[in-house]
Amino acid sequence: MKVLIIEDEPELAKSMIDYLSGQQYTCELASNYDQALVKISAYQYDCILLDIMLPGGSGMQILDQLKSQNKQDGVIIISAKSSLDDRIKGLELGADDYLSKPFHLSELAARIFSVIRRRKFANANIIVQGELTIDLPAKKVEVGGLVIPLTKKEFELLIYLIGNKNKVISKSALAEHLSGDLADMLDNHDFVYAHIKNLKKKLTEAGSGSYLKTLYGNGYKWEV
Amino acid sequence: MNKLLNTSLKRFTIYAGIVLAGSIPVYYLAISGLWQYELDEHHIILTAEAGREDTYIILGAITLLTVFFFALILGGFVWLNRRISTQLWQPFYQTLEQVKAFDLNSNATVEFQSGNIIEFEELNSSINKLLASNIATFRQQKEFTENASHELQTPLSIVQSKLDLLLQDGDLSASQSQIIEQTNYALSRVSRINKNLLLLSKIENNQFMEQQQISVAESITEIMDLLADLLEGRTIKSVINSECIVKGNRMLVEIMLTNLLMNSLRHTKKGVTIFISLTDAKLVIANPGTYPLDSLRLFKRFTAASDQTPGSGLGLSIVKEICRRYGWEVTYNFIDYRHEFAVNFHSSFE
Repeated sequence: MKVLIIEDEPELAKSMIDYLSGQQYTCELASNYDQALVKISAYQYDCILLDIMLPGGSGMQILDQLKSQNKQDGVIIISAKSSLDDRIKGLELGADDYLSKPFHLSELAARIFSVIRRRKFANANIIVQGELTIDLPAKKVEVGGLVIPLTKKEFELLIYLIGNKNKVISKSALAEHLSGDLADMLDNHDFVYAHIKNLKKKLTEAGSGSYLKTLYGNGYKWEV
Repeated sequence: MNKLLNTSLKRFTIYAGIVLAGSIPVYYLAISGLWQYELDEHHIILTAEAGREDTYIILGAITLLTVFFFALILGGFVWLNRRISTQLWQPFYQTLEQVKAFDLNSNATVEFQSGNIIEFEELNSSINKLLASNIATFRQQKEFTENASHELQTPLSIVQSKLDLLLQDGDLSASQSQIIEQTNYALSRVSRINKNLLLLSKIENNQFMEQQQISVAESITEIMDLLADLLEGRTIKSVINSECIVKGNRMLVEIMLTNLLMNSLRHTKKGVTIFISLTDAKLVIANPGTYPLDSLRLFKRFTAASDQTPGSGLGLSIVKEICRRYGWEVTYNFIDYRHEFAVNFHSSFE
């Protein structure tokens, strides 16, 4: 799957490419407005990561271009501004998601995963992972025809993990994902552990393989 | 303290009173001298009784006239004083009102009316100069905060992403991953402080213009759902007697409520109860405590109320700023060994 990264900060772009290339993504980079414009006109991408402030122009103009060229690429806006106006304007112009800096690479990967799934498999958005069958729109997980009763947070956690296959995900990244902005106001991130434990238990009890690994007590990994 | 014009009025009146009172014996001496002279001229000799009677009549007439003129002068002074104060001093009072109404936070500049009196013009231009430099300093300070936190976002993202990559290294030892996790934890606090500073300057710059009717009761329920994970053995006892509809920006109202709830939550140990009460115009969030907090410093930026707070130090300043924006009043009280934070929405109904 092809991902276009439109980002002018070389080190950040490098990190994103490093992380995403380790998964099933092929990454291309555009570091300014003109390069970005050439790439989006010439090729089709599964997902475009778009920085709003670019040398030579605004990411919003790129969204306009995509719309006027009738492109179907998924777009995630990545912005340092985290302003509400930008978020609303971006989503109105057809972006699929909005991520404000700074973010965890695992959060980015999970968002890309969701956007691509939604775009590509609109109605038949079902992930099959070994004996697990996950119906994304219905938020249902089955093993051998039996539904596993997951809470909303456990389901979110599962999708996040699958979106970051074989990667080590830090506890802070999961805490932030689960509690939004509240995570860093807390003394500890133990609630992450509680959710992981429950999810693991429910999956194994239903007869699924143990894909979910705990590493050194600090990170987690979905290993396949 | 006296009003400017009253001070001069009093002095003028006293002076006029003294002069007029002093004039009574002078008039008397002059008139009785003349009277005596006329009597002598026409060789009229009065009896002692008639002479005394004349003296009384003259004295009485003079006193009466003097009092009449004094009253006339006094009335004139008061009338003139009013006229002068409404006309002559008008620009001064206008300037005074404008300076009183000036609020550095409101982003509005002051326009003084120009008149034709040199002293007042000088006063206005000096005040203008003072205000302009104040506004400029204030603006620079705000811009600095905004730009600084803005510029930090990108390097923070780089650090964050490098840590995430480092974590992927298969050769990491347990202690090394622990260090990464601890760094992550600190980094997310830095990001939070940064985001909150940005948020504060955005509220101060009057962004978030969009307003709507919001049910505080509903918002609290939603936020409590979000916080459910974090309660960890703490109980929340809520008495919600009203929907409590307020007008404001949804995002800001939610941020305010979240910050207040999180504040109570963070300072409460496991097994303790947090109290929420909501009436038509007032929200109270309380948690048990042992000693009162410094209510003067509590809402200021980066004030750590106790040494065990992992927060950004900005949560309550943001609450204060949001309340200020909508004319609500947020207060802190320590009652019956409870920290009570109350928001009075009343002013928003006016």
